[in-house]
Amino acid sequence: MASGLTMTESHSGDVCIVSLTGRIDSSNAADFTTHVNGLISSGEKSILLDFANVLYLTSAAFRALLVATDEAERKAARLALCSLASQVRELFEMGGLLDAFTILPSRDEALARLG
Amino acid sequence: MSPAPEQTVTVTVRNEITDLASVTEAVDRIGAEAEIPGKTVMQLQVVLDEVLSNVIKYAWPDGGNHEFYVRINVRNGGIEITITDDGRPFNPLEQPAPAPPAAGRRPLPGGVGIHMVRQLVDSIEYVRFDGRNQVTLTKSYGLEPPLRRGGE
Repeated sequence: MASGLTMTESHSGDVCIVSLTGRIDSSNAADFTTHVNGLISSGEKSILLDFANVLYLTSAAFRALLVATDEAERKAARLALCSLASQVRELFEMGGLLDAFTILPSRDEALARLG
Repeated sequence: MSPAPEQTVTVTVRNEITDLASVTEAVDRIGAEAEIPGKTVMQLQVVLDEVLSNVIKYAWPDGGNHEFYVRINVRNGGIEITITDDGRPFNPLEQPAPAPPAAGRRPLPGGVGIHMVRQLVDSIEYVRFDGRNQVTLTKSYGLEPPLRRGGE
């Protein structure tokens, strides 16, 4: 079954960048949580979720992001999001969730903040 | 340009979260065929993910294998989606809007989804009849009105 979401990691200095491609919805939100929690428990302290190629995300994805953010906090790690397309940003706005996460305009700005 | 012909597709979905992929694919396909703007298709996907995952989670608390139906109708620049299940009575509209989070705290996850749904569709209605739940969503996508009506 196609999950509709690809997660690819790279590193820039101490920052672990997760490039997300596709959609985050009920069918893959659990995979997303497992993946990000795995990075946190493996000791990553700065994680950047690059949303540049995310088509959309649903409320299941927002719940997963909140869980990951809490998990990061517990492990003294930082989690940030960058490069949201305008239609994706609108969804955060509709959910009243723009302030729930650290959201930065571009990967460069995010790396400057996290690095 | 003549308006796209009316299209109706009904997808049968099992009460398993992985089965939602068949609806996602159907909506993508109809969106492409009917030339529905990408943003509208995306918003419908967000709405359907919320509504359908709630059916799967809440309609049959005792589990077991069940099926429900998603009917998608496209005509005259508008989309109507009807979701029918024979589970326990469940009105998705009765979930309250999310409470504003306390200062410095993240908002709680519950309620965000239906709050988004209300903003993403033009109308959402729930009826219970004949032992079934039926949710009907409508959304227009700003097609030019058809030219054949009237005497211009």
